[in-house]
Amino acid sequence: MFNQVRCALVAGFAASLLLTSPAFASTDGSFGATSTGSVIINASVPGRVRISGLTDVTFANADPSAAASDAQSVCVWSNTSTRGYSITASGSGASNAFTLASGALPVVPYTVEWAQASGQTSGTALAAGTALTGQTSAAINSDCSAGPSASASLVVSIGSPILQTMTAGVTYNGTLTLVVAPE
Amino acid sequence: MERMYPSPGIRFRHLQAARRTRRSAPVLTCCLAVFLGAVLSPTPALAQRVRITSLTDVDFGVIANLQADSRRSQNICLFSNSSGNAYSVAASGSGPGGSFTLANGSSALAYTVEWSQQSGQTSGTALTANGTLSGQTSAATHQFCNSGPATSASLTIVLRAAELSRAREGSYRGSLTLLIAPE
Repeated sequence: MFNQVRCALVAGFAASLLLTSPAFASTDGSFGATSTGSVIINASVPGRVRISGLTDVTFANADPSAAASDAQSVCVWSNTSTRGYSITASGSGASNAFTLASGALPVVPYTVEWAQASGQTSGTALAAGTALTGQTSAAINSDCSAGPSASASLVVSIGSPILQTMTAGVTYNGTLTLVVAPE
Repeated sequence: MERMYPSPGIRFRHLQAARRTRRSAPVLTCCLAVFLGAVLSPTPALAQRVRITSLTDVDFGVIANLQADSRRSQNICLFSNSSGNAYSVAASGSGPGGSFTLANGSSALAYTVEWSQQSGQTSGTALTANGTLSGQTSAATHQFCNSGPATSASLTIVLRAAELSRAREGSYRGSLTLLIAPE
């Protein structure tokens, strides 16, 4: 009985060693005319995205008879296997609305469009707080310092009817926030 | 007192022995000279030997910040019994042509290798793949560093931000082989 218990303990100990022993793969060299050693190197790169190259948007002396539009090329980088990403925009208005404000004057709505290619003057309309999925990036590195210098387009517009409601000589401002996530 | 003379037969045998001794004397002298020459020669009796030990695998884990260099250093035991304890080190990676790259399927992540002839260093002289860094010396006094300094050199692996910022998401793996030779 004692021997059986002892055998079980030994077997259990041996099994635990087998299960818990780390898989060391480095090899030391032998003592000789030359000596060769090796190591295994592991690294894990997590999914990451980055948006850069954004510039402020200014509509100076906009003509109310025509829509005012500003398109800019930006750098969006994603390191996922598909280079995919989603983008969510939110404004500084109530409930993240895309609106500009000037004191007590009525707020002014604007529209936001996004294109997954640079150099575009139009794109897919974004809804405040709602992610636009299925986008892909052509950027090679995180700040587009190599490869294409930009990989997406942001278009901000104010329609002519909206411009006609605005008070002349008054500055309206607001903030647009863009959140990019890997896909 | 009557003087006793040996018989003619005995005198002949003594004469023969004396002649053999005179003939073999040059041979014995020559053998003795060769023996003393071998023992007292300034040529080293020990062959030059080296050994590299105490290598450990390198695990960067999940690299949270892809915008900064990530480096891992380890202290190793490098022993050389050559005159001046000199040695050279050559490194090759598991990438194409021995390059220093980690692989994740078809994606690659390049790294750099630095070597220091002192332990406790976090940087050193950059090694080139398949190249040899000569002129190194070891402070080790034992092939396993069991006595004297516990380690005698430093190996540093570096993942550069420039490479990380364009690496695809995923787990990368590779091996690095170090060949040590006495000098």
